[in-house]
Amino acid sequence: MNKVLVIDDEPIVRISSKRTLEPEGYEVKLADSGKAGIEFLEKESFDLILLDLKMPDMSGIEVLAVVMDRWPGTKVIIVTGYSTVETAVEALRLGAFNHIEKPFTPDSLLTAVNEVFEKKDK
Amino acid sequence: MKDILRHPDRSIAAKLIIATGLLIFVVSFIFWFATLKKQKSDIMSIALKYGSSFVEFAKQSTKHSMLTNQRDETQRVLETLSTPEGVQKTEIYNHSGEIVFGSKKESLGKSVDKSTIVCSGCHLETEGDAALRPVMQTWSVYKDETDSTSLRIIRQINNEKDCYTASCHVHPKEQQILGFVEANLSLALLDEALFKQGLALTAYVIVFVFAVSLFLGIINYKIVTNPVQKLAQGMGKVAGGDFDQAVAVNSVDEIGVLASTFNSMIKDLKAAGEQREKWTQTLEDEIAKKTEEIKKTQAGLVQTEKLASLGRMAAGVAHEINNPLTGVVTFAHLLKQRCEPGSDDAEDLDVIIEQAERCAKIIKNLLTFARATPAEKGHINVNNVVTRTMQLVKNQEKFHNVKFHLDLDDGPFISNGDGTQFQQICLNMFLNAADAMKLRGDITVKSHQVEEDSKPFVEIVFADTGSGIKEEDMAKLFEPFFTTKPVDKGTGLGLSITHGIVKHLGGNIRIESTLGKGTSFFVRLPLTELTHE
Repeated sequence: MNKVLVIDDEPIVRISSKRTLEPEGYEVKLADSGKAGIEFLEKESFDLILLDLKMPDMSGIEVLAVVMDRWPGTKVIIVTGYSTVETAVEALRLGAFNHIEKPFTPDSLLTAVNEVFEKKDK
Repeated sequence: MKDILRHPDRSIAAKLIIATGLLIFVVSFIFWFATLKKQKSDIMSIALKYGSSFVEFAKQSTKHSMLTNQRDETQRVLETLSTPEGVQKTEIYNHSGEIVFGSKKESLGKSVDKSTIVCSGCHLETEGDAALRPVMQTWSVYKDETDSTSLRIIRQINNEKDCYTASCHVHPKEQQILGFVEANLSLALLDEALFKQGLALTAYVIVFVFAVSLFLGIINYKIVTNPVQKLAQGMGKVAGGDFDQAVAVNSVDEIGVLASTFNSMIKDLKAAGEQREKWTQTLEDEIAKKTEEIKKTQAGLVQTEKLASLGRMAAGVAHEINNPLTGVVTFAHLLKQRCEPGSDDAEDLDVIIEQAERCAKIIKNLLTFARATPAEKGHINVNNVVTRTMQLVKNQEKFHNVKFHLDLDDGPFISNGDGTQFQQICLNMFLNAADAMKLRGDITVKSHQVEEDSKPFVEIVFADTGSGIKEEDMAKLFEPFFTTKPVDKGTGLGLSITHGIVKHLGGNIRIESTLGKGTSFFVRLPLTELTHE
């Protein structure tokens, strides 16, 4: 089962992601901050991280840098508001796999997530 | 003139007239006095001369009768001599003062009045054999009993050889003075003549003083008072602010020079005043212009700042709303999956999803306005972009009944910036125009070069023939979410985004609108050097 970690300070986004992905067969873990996410990563490995860019303690870019450094095999999808599209572009350049905009629909989230594993499977 | 008489201390003319009048009066008085005195002394000396002749004549007339001791004859001669008018009396008395002969018989044998010059004319004392005076007084003027002036003249009769050798032997040889002949002559006629002459002289002098004073007064008035008054009036008017009144003094004297100097001075003053007025006006105009510019700039700044803070707020709100929207969309989908497809619940959930997505779209637009879109660096060829955008929209259904008119000056007008952003502006303008005209009418686009703060700008005018904008809506036009369109038709962000982009490009945007006739948007973008190459 593909393991997905959602890092977002917004509970509703975390829950929405979980409720969208779990029925599709993904194992979803939730972290409410960058630090919490890294703690999770240190305990177990994940196939995919859904990473919010705008968080209070550690920004998504910082978390991304750590992930790319320590767990280069883990794919990252940036979840961002439209206003930070430049940051999203920067994130992609740093090694993020893709980015989706908030607010996302279950379909758009699933499309993006499935794409990761389709490629991975190939 | 009345003022001069009422306040002589305030008038130069009055002072001059009084001073010259006084001088003339004093001089005339001295002249009058001296003349009178001279006349009197002249007449007196003439009278004295004739009186002396008369006494001498009496002396000579009686000489023979006295030598021959004809006493009656002597008496008769004296009486005869005294008959003419003016001869009061003629007497002969001896050295002791006893009247021997006289025209008045009642005086004969009497003694003369020794207090008169009869004695004191020669002697220091009247009694005895007194000493003689160094200068002898042989005549005197006195008032007689009728109070008219009389002249008394005395001649001594010296002892001569004929006298002491005469047969009568009345006088011894050693006697030096035998007696005196005295004549008293009335000077009443002379007095009268003197009085008449004095009267005439006085009258002449008075007339002279008066005439000269009057003449001087008139001359004074003509030469001094009148010009000075005119000058004073002119100065008064100038002091009152009337620079148009020149002083009409045409003389070439000091006052004339003063007046012409004054006239040229007020001319200069007037010119200076006008110059100052002009400067003040220019300054006021300049101030008004600058004030207007400052107001405009300030209004622009306020507008920009307002929009910027609104943008920041909108961005913040939009960002926060994105998260709950994610929840709404996700859970609505989840709920829908559990519903029977085509059921009422499923349809209701579709509405929720649709509206949530609409919210997402609004927020997306809002964020476009709020953020400074990173523009691609490049050059905007204004005329090209306008033409291209026009062609792009022309074929769309919305613009089927819209006629486009392009009136673009020969460019190329090149501005620094992202062509796509400028295209977005043009698109917004066309869409707004079409909506304002209810999809039917004319859109005219003009472009030309203008100067602003001595810098070259290209001005693009988008004019429509639509309904126009209400005065009260003008100020709110660039605020986000302000729209006059029906709820589903516009987000109210188009002009905000346009405003943001124009500002970002270093330009400005301005609107002119007439209700019922149409609206023109004036977009100005700074030109780059390329334009002129």
